[in-house]
Amino acid sequence: MSAAEKLGQGNPLLDKRLVNAFVEGMVEVIKSTGTEVKEGKPFVEPQFEAKGSIAGMIGMVAGDMRGTITISFDDSSVFHILENWLMEHHDQINDEVADAVGELTNQIYGKAKTTLNELGYGFEMAIPTVITGGGKIKSYHDGATLILPFTCDNGNFFIEITVER
Amino acid sequence: MFPENTKFLVVDDFATMRKIVKKVLTQLGYKNIEEADDGNTAWPMIKDAHSNGNPYDIIISDWNMPGMTGVDLLKNVRGDANLKEMPFVMVTAESEQKNIVEAVKAGVSDYIVKPFNANTLKTKLEALYSKHNGQAA
Repeated sequence: MSAAEKLGQGNPLLDKRLVNAFVEGMVEVIKSTGTEVKEGKPFVEPQFEAKGSIAGMIGMVAGDMRGTITISFDDSSVFHILENWLMEHHDQINDEVADAVGELTNQIYGKAKTTLNELGYGFEMAIPTVITGGGKIKSYHDGATLILPFTCDNGNFFIEITVER
Repeated sequence: MFPENTKFLVVDDFATMRKIVKKVLTQLGYKNIEEADDGNTAWPMIKDAHSNGNPYDIIISDWNMPGMTGVDLLKNVRGDANLKEMPFVMVTAESEQKNIVEAVKAGVSDYIVKPFNANTLKTKLEALYSKHNGQAA
């Protein structure tokens, strides 16, 4: 049985390899911006609640599984990361900040996808959508969510995985 | 290394990544840098620049973009008799073996996996210069 078939049968929110691939992708990409990052303890919420104020989202398709990966940031963490990465000071969410969150999401998904596909998962290429505002982010999701929390020196950010099956 | 008047086209759907590549090229002393947000925008720019007698010297492109992807842009360039020798570097988050093989088969000059740092791009450009000029960088 391929890993993708196993993924389709088990609960993806409890799949350690899937979780680890996204955690490693997040840590590598955020570190590359010059930002220290600490991983928190993953947890599952029965209903999606937006954790950040800006999010990059990617539809996740592998075999029969359909889900959404959301990389969300609170204001202070995204401003801190962009200051380290681009040497730019931002104090409000604007198109430049949104574009940068899209690129970070693209890189994190790309790293995780490479790891998982080399294990046989079969994730497809996808282009992220960036959404701002907690209410809008919430409207894209329904159901149980795996939350992978992270912190930097100045704020919090999250990977949120929801699965429709 | 390529001379300071080398003409670059940077293709990426995210302005952030175009900004990062442009900043590194500027730090390396290059000033003639143009941008496109996907292959559909880039392809006529490449053809027009050649027709006008002021062609791009190097294309630096993302892979995964809406409209025309980077690998399709690469295939267009390699399929055009006037452009097929143009150095074409892919800078992408797509780092699976199958992606790299597809890009190599399509004729990519070099491949940089995101995230990357300034030194990686510099080293790749030096290697590309050596390859195209048959000498040490």
